[in-house]
Amino acid sequence: MFRNIWLKELKEQLYTWKGTLWLVISSLVFSLISYLLLTDKELSLLDQTEMMWMLAKVIIGIGLLIISIDASSIISNEFEKETAESLFLSPIKMKDFVLGKLLASLSMWFFIFIVSIPYILVTSAGTKLFFPFLIYVFLLGTIGVLGFIMLIFAISLLFRSSKNTLTTSLIILLALAVPSLFSTTLKNNSFANVLSKVNPVDNIFSSLDNVLVDYQTSLLQNGQFIFPLVLFCLIAFIFLVYASKRFKRAGVVKHE
Amino acid sequence: MNNTKRLLILGVLGSLLILGMVYAYAENQTVSQPLTISIISEKALSGTAGDFTTVNAQISNSGSQPLNDITTYISLVDESNKMPVDLEDWSAEKGLFIGTIDAGQTLPLNWKVHFVKAGKYSLIIVAETAGQEMPQVSSIVYFTVKPKLNLNPGQVLPVALGTPIFVLFIMLLLNYRRNAYKSN
Repeated sequence: MFRNIWLKELKEQLYTWKGTLWLVISSLVFSLISYLLLTDKELSLLDQTEMMWMLAKVIIGIGLLIISIDASSIISNEFEKETAESLFLSPIKMKDFVLGKLLASLSMWFFIFIVSIPYILVTSAGTKLFFPFLIYVFLLGTIGVLGFIMLIFAISLLFRSSKNTLTTSLIILLALAVPSLFSTTLKNNSFANVLSKVNPVDNIFSSLDNVLVDYQTSLLQNGQFIFPLVLFCLIAFIFLVYASKRFKRAGVVKHE
Repeated sequence: MNNTKRLLILGVLGSLLILGMVYAYAENQTVSQPLTISIISEKALSGTAGDFTTVNAQISNSGSQPLNDITTYISLVDESNKMPVDLEDWSAEKGLFIGTIDAGQTLPLNWKVHFVKAGKYSLIIVAETAGQEMPQVSSIVYFTVKPKLNLNPGQVLPVALGTPIFVLFIMLLLNYRRNAYKSN
């Protein structure tokens, strides 16, 4: 059953301006960044691996931003357009409903990743880091995006409003992204260090730095960054399960 | 002894005294500047913009007394613009302090330098000893920083222009298909 919901959402994304416009915007951002990195004389002073690291951060950052916006409305819209009632009258399980929507949001990330491949190729030209670059952007991006989608879905099921969900999701994303942009000097503080170790966005960026700048390309060498990301996904999953159960208890039509 | 002879002897003695003082002063001046600085990584200095290199030098005390409180620093001049370079981006280590250098001792001096911009440069190392009026400088080393070859507009331009156009084309194609499906 989840397959039908997934395909329905996928068609909605691809056959409307909404979904495809995100892809055009992301390709324009990638174009601008890679063009500046490879043509601007000041920026070209950066080491090539640092350029790749910067682009990798932009790809995953754009991915997280677009998915946060997309996932904020994908469930809430069913309540706002009042289609949720008829949807849940059909013999559909909550699990299938959430899984279908989750795969649809995750597909959007895959499309963004596919769009980013030419840029990854051109930025890593002349180095032996094309495959590690490609694999780690995909791996880290997918784990990070999956965790965020589950977290946003849980918020969506609790709020049932796309406006509230979107605001909350963007605040969470901003709160997690800003400390990861701090310099290493600021992170020397022990409290900041602990925060950095549990922050999923920080772990994504640190792992990319480890792979692209420090050439630590094996999974074992990046386990310290991937493990907290998996843990974040697990926590987001538990939160989603809790939100789904609370949603079922409250009923599709919420009586205030 | 007549007055002329007395004056002559006094004149000779006075001249000897002045000569002695001048010699002693000159001797004192040479003794007070026993430091020598030499840059030993002269050939390794040239590179490409963006590269990091290490300026290796050594400072020697050829005098008979130890010297205290010596501050050494590098000075860089852009030979094309005939202007000194602001070292803020070039070197994180502004100066190296030497507490004591014993008589006859030679100490290494190392600066990590980042080649920020292509061009022709000259570099000297200056040492200031506490209480001395004159600094000691090394001989000038000239080096060239080649421009960075990371710039590749030939490769990035088709991708930067082509990908958004391709995605836009796909978007329009999907929209056309949707409209065609609707009209059927």
